[in-house]
Amino acid sequence: MGLVPTAPSSPDSASVRLSEVRRAVADLRHLLWFRAATLNRPRVVVIALAVFGAVTLLSATVPAWIDLDPAVLARATRALPAALAAVAAISVASAIAGGGGRELLARDPASIHPISPVTDHLGALVLAPLNTGWLLQTWLLLGFTAVVAGPERLLGVQLLTLAWVVAATVLGQVVAWGVEWVRRGPRGARVVRIGVAVALGVLAGVGATPDVRQVLVAGPARIVATAIERGSAGAIALITLTLLVGGGVLVVLGARLATLAATRMPRDEGRQETRAHAPRPTPSSPLAMMVRVDRASVWRSVPLRRGTLLLAIAPGLVALAGGLRWETLILLPGLVASGCVLLFGVNLWCLDGRGMLWRETLPVAPRTVLVARAWVLAEVLFGAALITIVLGSVRAGMPTPAEALAVVLALVTVVGQAVSAGLRWSEKSPYAVDLRSARATPAPPLTMVGYSLRLALTTTFTGLYFATLAALGRPLPMLAVAVVLLAISAFRIVRASRRWSDPVRRSAVVGVVAA
Amino acid sequence: MTGRESQSAIEVSGLRVQFGTVEAVTGVDLRVEPGQAMALLGRNGAGKSTTMRVLAGVVPPTSGRAFVGGYDVRESTLDAKRAVGYCPDVGGLVPRATPWEHLQLNARLRGLEGWETRGRALLERFDLGGVAHRVTAGFSHGMQRRLSVVLAALHQPSVLLLDEPFDGVDPIGVEATFEVIEDARAHGSGVLVSTHLRDLAVQVCGEVAVLRGGTRMATISSGFMAGEDGARAYRALLA
Repeated sequence: MGLVPTAPSSPDSASVRLSEVRRAVADLRHLLWFRAATLNRPRVVVIALAVFGAVTLLSATVPAWIDLDPAVLARATRALPAALAAVAAISVASAIAGGGGRELLARDPASIHPISPVTDHLGALVLAPLNTGWLLQTWLLLGFTAVVAGPERLLGVQLLTLAWVVAATVLGQVVAWGVEWVRRGPRGARVVRIGVAVALGVLAGVGATPDVRQVLVAGPARIVATAIERGSAGAIALITLTLLVGGGVLVVLGARLATLAATRMPRDEGRQETRAHAPRPTPSSPLAMMVRVDRASVWRSVPLRRGTLLLAIAPGLVALAGGLRWETLILLPGLVASGCVLLFGVNLWCLDGRGMLWRETLPVAPRTVLVARAWVLAEVLFGAALITIVLGSVRAGMPTPAEALAVVLALVTVVGQAVSAGLRWSEKSPYAVDLRSARATPAPPLTMVGYSLRLALTTTFTGLYFATLAALGRPLPMLAVAVVLLAISAFRIVRASRRWSDPVRRSAVVGVVAA
Repeated sequence: MTGRESQSAIEVSGLRVQFGTVEAVTGVDLRVEPGQAMALLGRNGAGKSTTMRVLAGVVPPTSGRAFVGGYDVRESTLDAKRAVGYCPDVGGLVPRATPWEHLQLNARLRGLEGWETRGRALLERFDLGGVAHRVTAGFSHGMQRRLSVVLAALHQPSVLLLDEPFDGVDPIGVEATFEVIEDARAHGSGVLVSTHLRDLAVQVCGEVAVLRGGTRMATISSGFMAGEDGARAYRALLA
């Protein structure tokens, strides 16, 4: 949300009074009403929320009645602490990467309203579930809980699991505000970079050592997992209550840290906007010039640069720590590409912002503009997925020829799928977005979840297909599938290009993006 | 149909633009000859910016004809865009590109050679030389307006379209914009300036066209629109 940094001179500027909290809750209600009232397609949103609710309910109940093999049940029980810890890890990582979480109102429109940091904090908490990683992990956790607890104790343990999810989400927000406060301080960006690198290194080292890995999830996650598995009703109630009270305390702590962070100017943007970029010779062709400008638009944007690096490095480190084999690494390009395309690819024209109006008056074929944008998107996706694969390959040993081919084909295919999806969605549903802030997203949160789920589904199936064929040692069917999938992507890209050549369609996109 | 079809710098007849159920322009006729500067005045929502966007090749007309530099903006869009230099009413800058990169993009796409000296001179004239290599996201509104005028003028277009070029611009910037308009006229370009600032418009333009509700109400010599009498005449046209 658009917080105007406040002067740190006020002695109680960082304190959170009860009246302020009450007012923040009221403001939050008004902002949520405003968001709901200004939805483009309210019926779609209602349907989406109903689907999310139904999936949550089903994942929390149905697995309890499934008669599982004892070996599978034992595996689920063993995986429960890790699944609990993963929700906390995703909450923390998402909130840190988002520079304090999602905004209820973008910075520019919010700047004219007296929106307090506490309201901002509460808004980020409310929007935290609109994150595909968080949703998938929560559904998975509810499913594990149902499997492990069985039908008799289901209600109590699911309430415990939900209390854990709430506490983990609030913890993520608290950590993110703390990191944001440090980042905005003197030499903050460097301190945070070093801190994140050390944390990732430690996690990778710990993850690579099975004994130490147990320690990682031996804290609260293991206590909760044990209670889910065999805790008495009293113990479950006590832990649930403890988590809810702890969550409440964390909400207040988060509000305090958000208030502290708001007293400092966001430094990343200021640094980017005042830095001098040495001029380079003019490229020889219009396409090269446009690629250069579009590339700069990506790498000079704080959220895009940070998000791309996180998505490139984090899965690679997880693969490195877990010692993933090549049959699993084949799935990673899909994960990375579908994540990276969400950073800006689903609303490609937002890179230009209001500059799109001027760019549209330049004498160049629309197709060239589109090719440049698609090229830059593809190179970001390729680069990020390659970094992940290289990191993951360190402990994966030598791939078989079929596995090597599968990785290459999966990489090329999912990039094609992501680029074609990005071009389609960018034309169909453009949004006016200012990507200056680390908290900005290229589309509204719920739309982002929809894009994310669709992409994850497509690219995961593609990866699974190649992984299965690689395990069977079948290179020819792999090549055939890759050719078909690439042909579909190429057809969609050509169709998007044809649509982009329509001046009426283009002017509608310009009208929205440059609004 | 392609090629030059009009000798005028700008020729618009029966222009209509519709967005959904809203008619933004409901019948505008304009003619600007080479070497002439015309101001486009009118209230908010009168259709000034939409008319400018049609002439810049961004918004296709729903009906009617629009020629810039002799080219039909609907039929010969790329040729029309080559003829035009356009300063949009809002923003108009790529947020994470520097002014110099904007100039490079403009020059490359228009096939300009040896443009660097003029580019530097324009940046200096608009007091932007010191920030030529900083991204425009951090620019003030006035700086953005000034850079938009520089970009419109770089290639010495045969048609110069300036939409609200004085909005939020300091006196130095206004003076520099006046110079650009005078240079363009001397160079034989047709200039169309859309603005709310009548006083400035009449200083730099020979004629004034007043739009109301998407329609041209009148085209008057600037002399009649100057001073207190001009203000009364203008108010009467807007009423």
